[in-house]
Amino acid sequence: MRSTWKQIWPPLVAVVFFLAAWQLSVSLFHIEAWILPSPTDIARESSSNAAGIGDHTIATLRLTLIGFPIGTAVGLIVALLLHLLPWAKRALYPLLILSQNVPSIALAPLLVIWFGFGLLPKIVLITLVCFFPIAVATMSGLSQSDRMMMNYMKMAGASKWQIFTKLELPSSLPSLFSGLKISATYAVMGAVVAEWIGADKGIGYYMLLQKSAYRTDRVFVAIAIIVLLSLVLFAIIALLERWLVRWKPRRNS
Amino acid sequence: MSEVTQVPHRNIEKSSPTLSRTAPPALEVSGISKSFSHRRRETEVLHKVSLQVEQQEFVSIVGPSGCGKSTLFHIIGGLESPDAGTVSMNGKIVTGQRGKISYMPQQPALFPWRTIEDNVLLASEITGEVGEQAREEARQWLAKVGLSGFERSYPHMLSGGMQQRAAFLRALLAPQELMLLDEPFSALDALTRSEMQRWLLELWEENRRSVLFITHNIEEALLLSNRIYVFSGRPGSILHTVDIPFPRPRREEITDSPEFIRLKRQLSQWMREEQAKRTLT
Repeated sequence: MRSTWKQIWPPLVAVVFFLAAWQLSVSLFHIEAWILPSPTDIARESSSNAAGIGDHTIATLRLTLIGFPIGTAVGLIVALLLHLLPWAKRALYPLLILSQNVPSIALAPLLVIWFGFGLLPKIVLITLVCFFPIAVATMSGLSQSDRMMMNYMKMAGASKWQIFTKLELPSSLPSLFSGLKISATYAVMGAVVAEWIGADKGIGYYMLLQKSAYRTDRVFVAIAIIVLLSLVLFAIIALLERWLVRWKPRRNS
Repeated sequence: MSEVTQVPHRNIEKSSPTLSRTAPPALEVSGISKSFSHRRRETEVLHKVSLQVEQQEFVSIVGPSGCGKSTLFHIIGGLESPDAGTVSMNGKIVTGQRGKISYMPQQPALFPWRTIEDNVLLASEITGEVGEQAREEARQWLAKVGLSGFERSYPHMLSGGMQQRAAFLRALLAPQELMLLDEPFSALDALTRSEMQRWLLELWEENRRSVLFITHNIEEALLLSNRIYVFSGRPGSILHTVDIPFPRPRREEITDSPEFIRLKRQLSQWMREEQAKRTLT
């Protein structure tokens, strides 16, 4: 208990310090609220307008929770297929990396042209940003199983499937989870970007609306909600990891 | 008690000399050669190696490092195929076939996501289903080797010596009759090592299995083996074959006997000569 507290207080102090500096400089230099609202302005706005933004938050959350599992599934399937078919990995892996140089925001208009303004283009966009970190992390995890254990499995006469399920898959779990954590935050970002390109609700839509009204304080509230959503998703995955990878020795320092 | 000491899947009549005379050897390696090419340069690692492990015999290989002992194990285990020569077990040629031996690597190589009990049962799991009976047996064995209470623990919670005992048990409970032990104690400190040697000696004498044992440690080989093959440096070939005369059951006191000291001196000298040759060339 004491050790978790030890880990938590330094970043906590840093955040408090940062907010204090922000608040002070806004009032000292008389910065206008439509350029940079102070933290207290933002807090006041979020508490007074909680109901107005609640629906948008739920819409974004819903979109994320549909897109993220689909993106995860696609990433895992790609990783497994490329791992089990080495020739396909040699052929497609470079293309996969190349494809990541196309910014997802640039794809958004195309997706609208192809799939319209419904749910489908948004899910496709989230899937596109999510699957890559998971696929890469899982693939590297699968191919980096311990040599000594691999020799043991082979000498014991294990089949390719047994090697996969009993050695490669469990040893890839830690790196699969680091891919999942990255993708979780990407998924929230993907959902917001998807809402920019065509939606009538959601945090992304709300941001655009408030930006045109120069309600900078409300834009900040939206940003705070995005951060919060990402953190919650991240925490859920970290908890899941703790439970599934409980065999791993914890570094206590 | 006797139920516990008997390993399943095989009925060993304890040290019956007639059986070992008539039955084909548990392992017969004949004329194995192996080269590896690295950057267009051929390096011969093993040169015409022939050796035998009779049924229920403990045979050791000692030699300088880099003498190709591990490559030999990989060939016997079917991980690599020899350039020449054959591997037979119980009279049948099995060159290049996997799943015929039970293996214990240098490091324990226990699977970190498996509990100790599940680790010990891994080899049986690979060859077939693991029933409640096998689990019960594994638990009894774990208790026998001083690991009771650790059945549900993960490997990282155990000390080095305990992990090594679990790895040994994994090899012992494997359904294959022949055990290959690849320098199993090399990573342990001196005290734990001698403790493990005594432990292995006692355990082996109770449950005779056919064992091929690689070690750098001459005293360890003399204490445990029926026969020792002394390997040369690269390319590895057999320089000497030494039959160890001490009767069984052996106790650690034999290390003080003049015969033991004489053999130890002889083997050390051969090893030193080999090392010297390597440094000269």
